[in-house]
Amino acid sequence: MTVYRYFIKIALRNKWTIIAYTIIFFILSIINSSNSTQGEASFIETKLDIGIVDNSNSQLSNGLKEYLEDKNNIVEVGPGEEAIREQIFLEIADAIIVIPEDFEERVINKEKALEVYRDDRRAESIQIQNQINKFLLFANATYEVGKFDLEGMKAALDEKIHVQLIKEGHKGTGEGIGEWFRYYFNFTGYVIMAIYIAVLGLVMADFTDPNIKNRRMISSKRFLDFNREIYLGQLSVASVITLIFILGCVLIKGKYIGVINFHIYVINTLALSFAILCLTYLINNVTRSKFVINGISTVLSLGTSFISGVMVPQELLGDRVLTIAKFFPTYYFVRINDMGPISLLDVRFEILMQILFGIAFLLMGLYFSKTTQRA
Amino acid sequence: MVVKVRNLVKRYKELIALDHFNMEVEEGEILGLLGPNGCGKTTAINCILSLLSFDKGEVEVFGRKMTPDAYDIKQKIGLVPQEVSVFENLTVRENVDYFCGLYVDDKHLRRRYVDEAIEFVGLKDYVKFYPKKLSGGLKRRLNIACGIAHKPKLIFLDEPTVAVDAQSRNFILNGIKELNKEGSTIIYTTHYLEEAEMLCKRIVIMDNGKDLVSGSKEELKAMITTSEKVVVSFTSISDEELSEMKGLPHVIDIERDGEEYIIKFESGINNLTKLLEFIKEKELIYTKLHSQLPTLNDVFLELTGKELRD
Ligand SMILES: Nc1ncnc2c1ncn2[C@@H]1O[C@H](COP(=O)(O)OP(=O)(O)O)[C@@H](O)[C@H]1O
Ligand SMILES: [Mg+2]
Repeated sequence: MTVYRYFIKIALRNKWTIIAYTIIFFILSIINSSNSTQGEASFIETKLDIGIVDNSNSQLSNGLKEYLEDKNNIVEVGPGEEAIREQIFLEIADAIIVIPEDFEERVINKEKALEVYRDDRRAESIQIQNQINKFLLFANATYEVGKFDLEGMKAALDEKIHVQLIKEGHKGTGEGIGEWFRYYFNFTGYVIMAIYIAVLGLVMADFTDPNIKNRRMISSKRFLDFNREIYLGQLSVASVITLIFILGCVLIKGKYIGVINFHIYVINTLALSFAILCLTYLINNVTRSKFVINGISTVLSLGTSFISGVMVPQELLGDRVLTIAKFFPTYYFVRINDMGPISLLDVRFEILMQILFGIAFLLMGLYFSKTTQRA
Repeated sequence: MVVKVRNLVKRYKELIALDHFNMEVEEGEILGLLGPNGCGKTTAINCILSLLSFDKGEVEVFGRKMTPDAYDIKQKIGLVPQEVSVFENLTVRENVDYFCGLYVDDKHLRRRYVDEAIEFVGLKDYVKFYPKKLSGGLKRRLNIACGIAHKPKLIFLDEPTVAVDAQSRNFILNGIKELNKEGSTIIYTTHYLEEAEMLCKRIVIMDNGKDLVSGSKEELKAMITTSEKVVVSFTSISDEELSEMKGLPHVIDIERDGEEYIIKFESGINNLTKLLEFIKEKELIYTKLHSQLPTLNDVFLELTGKELRD
């Protein structure tokens, strides 16, 4: 395992890249967590036309209706999945929500509580998901001994008022928490990309230096063994970097991870990590100039993050920008974070897209590695 | 025969880098591959080691056909490449350990090998240094240590003394002799005549991708017609006297190099005596006179019509 050992060693010689990004990142997320109550989500919200099919007709479902009514126009819609899809297609509603009979139970058990049909043609329709998530988050948090505290929730949901969300007296609104996780993970996507490309790229540039490569090629080290150790090294370094950011989140906002669907953020981050690792593989097969790698690390991570809505929400980006963004995995990663994820099933398409991007990068990398070997 | 190369042809697009190149290396010898820059020495080594594919020819190492996956043969080979090929991000010791680790898995054995290699090249005081902190000569020594730490039976050294100070150069040359004494067969490429002459038991002279001749120094020198040269500085000499001198028995040619006249003889008895008699008879005055045996440069000159000088 000499190759593996030295891969890690050289990666650690580039530790300042990792440390610099990490420190800046955590300083920003801590600053962000202390004043995230005025998240811009509130001022960008537009009124949507939504339909509600309420099969529960419970206290809680009425509370939800009231809450949504405040922020949107409620339109009349008919039930039935097919009818619903058609009404959305005909732009009668931007989104239609179906509340099941056992709505309250589901909320208590933190199961998927309702069905949301959105008009994907309207990017803003995502905000309905955010509103519902926020409501459900609060409902869950205020549930105690068989009762929802609807009054308390109403007060809490009013953005101007700060409430005690969690007993420990931690200050922050549901808006703040949801927003915080969204920002945290969106930026994690950016930072992971920058660090992966820079660190793995620089280490690989050393190993693929033609002179050093020649020495390996005349040695009795088998090519497969060598590659196995190199890839294991890449995987280890990548895992540690991703882990730092997932654990960092637990450290800073650990008490909320039970309230939000933390596992979806984690799975989302792992999917993106996989895609970026494959992207790094592609880059390493295209160039081994350290200068170019540093450039790509900065430009690609900043560029794709920006157009994918890490810095500015996707709703504010133009259609054309978003169309371009769809050609990068970060777009799908950000979409999941923006949805304020409810269940794995809801985000399966976005997860799949990220993995497919990874595989595509891998295949392209393989192609380039073959063409450069032949030269 | 440790290495056997037959009719090797290597083309880089239009350029023919190796043109039916032949070479044989016997166990235990130091073989010099001597030729001017760009004649194809590095290309030859890279083809022998399967680093480069070639268009035609055969390469056998340790009696077997050499291929990229002949790992058991590779285990016994060490290469000191022409370019210093080390990790800038690893220290001296780490570099030697990494490259040794490509051959030797056993940790304890490797530690011993690495220590010995570092000691051997005299870098003991520099183990924690990064390559960029080393002088040119010390870098070359590190390059050598990385190539020989696994104690190969067959070592290729590709111009290991280029751009090296005199002290490091002697150190390296003595080290190579020592490696040879310890039983390694050595293939040494160089464009320095003196090095080949001083170090190598046998020499292959190469030009334009071809092996011109091979043999021991004595054999090579015996191959050419010039067997002796006398260098004289006359205070004055007329053209007639000069052409008369050219007519002396065994004289092949007379060249003028400033004040000096270089008189070349083919092999014969009493060449020098005859020349001195002629000088006395003509009452020529000279300030300097010495006799030289032919050098490898003369061999090269006669074979190719050009000088092999730095
Ligand atoms: N990768 C290459 N592509 C094209 N030509 C090359 C390449 N490598 C070497 N050559 C040419 O092949 C010839 C032999 O080069 P080389 O083997 O390096 O000579 P030497 O080692 O004797 O100085 C030179 O003319 C050189 O320019
Ligand atoms: Mg060369």
